Amino acid sequence: MSHENTLHPDEKYKAGKLGSSLAKAGAGIAVVFLGISLILGSMHPDGHMRRFLYSFVIGWSYIFSISIGMLWLIILHYLVRGRWVTVVRRICEAMAGAFPLIFVAGLVFVIPLLAGYQDLYYWAHPDAANPELNHTMIHKLVWLNPQFFAVRYVIYGVGFSGLASYFRKWSRAQDASGDPAISEKLRIASAPAMILFSVLTCAAAFDILMSMAPKWYSTIYGVNFWGSACVGAFSALALITIGIQRTGRLTRSITPEHYHDIGKWMFSFTFFWAYTGFSQFMLQWYGNMPEETVWYKYRLFGEWQWVSIAMLIGFWAFPFVFLLSRWTKRIVPSLVFFAVWQLVFHWLDLYWNVMPQYDWQTVFHEGQKIVIGPLSGNTAMHHVGFSPIDVTVWLGLIGVFLVGVGRNLTGNLIPVKDPTLGLSLSHENV
Amino acid sequence: MSNADKHDHHDHDADEPQALPADGDLHGLLAEYDTPGELVEAARKVRDAGFTEFDCYSPFPVHGIDEAMGIKRTILPVLIFGGGFTGLILGLLLQWWTNAFNWPWNISGKPTWSIPANIPIGFETTILLSVFTTFFGMWTLNKLPQVWHPLFRNERFNRVTDDGFFLGIEAKDRRFDAETTTKLLSDAGAIGIDKIHLDPDPAKKVMPKWIFAVIAATTALALIPFAIAAKARNSKSSEPHIHIFADMDFQPKYKSDVAMDEFADSRANRGNIEGTVSRNPASLKADEAFYYGLEDDPTPAPEGAPVATGPAKRWITGFPKAVDADQRLMDRGKQRFEIYCTPCHGYDGRGAGTVPNRVAQGGGLWQAQNLVDPGKKLITIPNGQLFNTISNGAATMPGYAGQIPHRDRWAIVLYVRALQRAQNASLDDVPADQKGSIR
Repeated sequence: MSHENTLHPDEKYKAGKLGSSLAKAGAGIAVVFLGISLILGSMHPDGHMRRFLYSFVIGWSYIFSISIGMLWLIILHYLVRGRWVTVVRRICEAMAGAFPLIFVAGLVFVIPLLAGYQDLYYWAHPDAANPELNHTMIHKLVWLNPQFFAVRYVIYGVGFSGLASYFRKWSRAQDASGDPAISEKLRIASAPAMILFSVLTCAAAFDILMSMAPKWYSTIYGVNFWGSACVGAFSALALITIGIQRTGRLTRSITPEHYHDIGKWMFSFTFFWAYTGFSQFMLQWYGNMPEETVWYKYRLFGEWQWVSIAMLIGFWAFPFVFLLSRWTKRIVPSLVFFAVWQLVFHWLDLYWNVMPQYDWQTVFHEGQKIVIGPLSGNTAMHHVGFSPIDVTVWLGLIGVFLVGVGRNLTGNLIPVKDPTLGLSLSHENV
Repeated sequence: MSNADKHDHHDHDADEPQALPADGDLHGLLAEYDTPGELVEAARKVRDAGFTEFDCYSPFPVHGIDEAMGIKRTILPVLIFGGGFTGLILGLLLQWWTNAFNWPWNISGKPTWSIPANIPIGFETTILLSVFTTFFGMWTLNKLPQVWHPLFRNERFNRVTDDGFFLGIEAKDRRFDAETTTKLLSDAGAIGIDKIHLDPDPAKKVMPKWIFAVIAATTALALIPFAIAAKARNSKSSEPHIHIFADMDFQPKYKSDVAMDEFADSRANRGNIEGTVSRNPASLKADEAFYYGLEDDPTPAPEGAPVATGPAKRWITGFPKAVDADQRLMDRGKQRFEIYCTPCHGYDGRGAGTVPNRVAQGGGLWQAQNLVDPGKKLITIPNGQLFNTISNGAATMPGYAGQIPHRDRWAIVLYVRALQRAQNASLDDVPADQKGSIR
């Protein structure tokens, strides 16, 4: 129970070599695991680096979601004049500020698309424009084509990077000047920033994840993605914060009260994810329209049903019941357990969203060209087909993310002249 | 509170505890503090002195006061969890009992009990009982309401909802001593200390009776609708209905073919209105073969038969001119048949659809018609009659005129004919060059 409202004189709040060490470690992880992934990917029997690119989209969405989840927290913090976030805001800014690097990493799947790669997104395949095969999606090709996709990808890159660097730049400027007007300026900016953030997040989820199944659609998809993203982002925030405290930094400023609030967000977004996920499921299940239910058909039957059940229990029921308690959020080892748990399941959520689409292919049958696999309603190729590449790419991209975070962990790890710092330091949950 | 009490307390000295006129036993002491911080410090000192029968009063929640007073964490969250869980179970039980147990209803062969459909209501009842537990639990655990509490007799205490921070110690605490306790409160920085006395009137030391009366009356009123429903369910009456919404039961409109004196012909029905198309079948559906499956019967009526009002009709045996019985129509018929007919008649037309299967599982005897059984008249009836059956139903089969357009009904007729042919095919039907592949 800290009643301090000024920074403790002995507090170590300078980043020092922390950032560069983290970046080096991240670079090591990235090089090793992405190297292994490239080798495994080129050896994979499905060819065309197809498995590698599918896994890459999952891993990329993972670090992308964690980064934008933290950007959301920063914008929200200003929008509602939050207080408790102030002591961890620099860490959030470092995570959100990793976006430019994430944008560059994503070019790994965007550039092949532009160059004519056909095996990742079905809409990039020439068959997608065949009205005999695809009369239900042919009108979507105005939106879903490699060129326009690349344009939108750049818009997401510029938009998210711009938002993250804007809030980070002015927060750092306040460290030097201590001008309280900067907080007010950022508060005013936060409202349009929140609108821009929401639109970009929904559109990015539609483009990068939902268009994996181009005939299927769900308007709540972006919201559900954002819910899952925030579960991962707050879990990652808890782990990185605890890690920084382990190095002897910020040990007096960040207290169980702050961990309690991070845990509350993990809890609430766990439920939010389940709520929106169920909303999406129930309308389509009840409506019982083939073009909608086909997406669930591949997830709720056969091998994938076990993944779905694991998601329901692991990503919702278990953490929901245990994170209800105050103590699971305040005791650090317990919070670490749930943070790691949720980070794994956040990845599984993205895997569950993307991988069932993997098995589509076009074949000739009785002289007719047809699509088989999940895109067509054919159950013949319906299996989970787990591959080690899925994990190595994921770990490699976590390495990329850590490079991005480490590069931003410089200077003060706390906004030392923020007007709300005192309130944040003495923050207490009643 | 008597009028004598109503004087200003603001300017008196903390060293001189001022008692209300001695009108009852001493309840305790009430000390006022200037800021929430001082209140927290005073609470800590009082707790450290060993007092247990004391409480703090402030206009808003004060951070750290629970810990300063030594209050244990509330069990309310545990109660809310229990309440919410109970709500979930009750909500699911309610739906199971009404949908699957007490009045199971077969709707298109769907399961009577299905978890996904029940989750939204389970979610609502979970929240409902959580909120009830929170609300009533908060009142109960705080032993509220206490409108008779002696602190309300002190005028200074009125400011507790505005800007006053108070600490009250009760005289029943075993460490309580009027003088030393006053000194303790004063040393903790009180800006005013009052002695609080109980009301001498014993009736004002308990919950006022009118509150119980209001609760009892509200409860009784709330039960009246249930009592009326219970009575109506268990009694017979020759009285007419009660019309609660009379203007809905008796609407100010005219139905067709009733009298209405405003018009010269005394009819409410105004006939064809200019610029509209009549729904009269004779004009709108003149193609009887297409719309009804009928044609004129040229065979003369037998001698002595009753004179018909119109020309004699019979079912057509082929297809109407407006319909081409081609492969396109056959494909359409197959697709429509599999959407509308297979739930009962099955894919092969033998009557083994999902609905009769469920009926059989439930012990029922109802069966769907076998469309392809060579011993049944469905094989031999004319196309027009088959079309009419699809349109208007037969026996327990409802009519599908509302769901299936005319052309699609003819497509289904064509497909049913094909099914009947295919299901009763013989070896002679197989082309000679493929007979070898039949085993």
